[in-house]
Amino acid sequence: MLSEIRKGLTLPPVVKHITQEKINLYAQASGDFNPIHIDEAFAAQTPLGGTIAHGMLILAYVSEMMTQAFGENWASNGKLSIRFKAPARPGDTVTANGKIDSIENQEGISSVNCSIGCCNQKDETIITGEAIVKLPLRERTANV
Amino acid sequence: MPAISYEDLTPGYEFPPASYKLTPSFVSQYIKAVDSSSDEFVPPIAIAACAMSAMAESVSFPPGTIHASQELEFFKLVPVGTVINCQAKVVRKLARTMMRMLVLELNVLDENKERVQSGKATIILPAERANAQ
Repeated sequence: MLSEIRKGLTLPPVVKHITQEKINLYAQASGDFNPIHIDEAFAAQTPLGGTIAHGMLILAYVSEMMTQAFGENWASNGKLSIRFKAPARPGDTVTANGKIDSIENQEGISSVNCSIGCCNQKDETIITGEAIVKLPLRERTANV
Repeated sequence: MPAISYEDLTPGYEFPPASYKLTPSFVSQYIKAVDSSSDEFVPPIAIAACAMSAMAESVSFPPGTIHASQELEFFKLVPVGTVINCQAKVVRKLARTMMRMLVLELNVLDENKERVQSGKATIILPAERANAQ
């Protein structure tokens, strides 16, 4: 968990390397066998030109970053809104990133508003969006 | 049950609800797939993936369908072993020249009928394949 929570703080990033093996594992775990993810011959014939990672796989990395920053509060009082802007492909190294944009305190709760995203090794945006985590004010104060 | 086609989906359509037990083996497989570390609680995106899977099982989406955006709100921690009930509904359907789009509302409850998470997913389908169905 973060040792301090303040406006402007950059969240510790999560960096992952994408491989076709990981995409195949995710297909098995999620039950999403859309050929755009796992069938290289099919994917090569599409405008995408090759297989791409599941969007929810990349979103899992963003969620992991939020869990590392905010602990169980993320899974019990978190909210996100994101857009998938570009695909992640086998061979890419993706970085989930985030920053605290504002903090609103009300009725014993801190609402921590973050900009979140994910980019590849070329700094191309894969995911962009926002997240809010509600923290008990006492917990947040203890962390400041 | 035969899968419903994209053409048959209309705003307000509710997909058949589906229950999943978030077994240790499922959670373990998921955590390995997302290259993360294990926990006593189920990662919230794993639950969202179940909700998406529940919807996808009952509809025939063409190959090349992609996920465009996602909203999610998490309400409680979910221990491994929990049975979740996933519900999905079509809230919007749009057709454009080159693609078609669906906005789906997702809700997940636990066995005590308490809200676990809710959200909205936007998916884009290739027009020519959607037309072929």
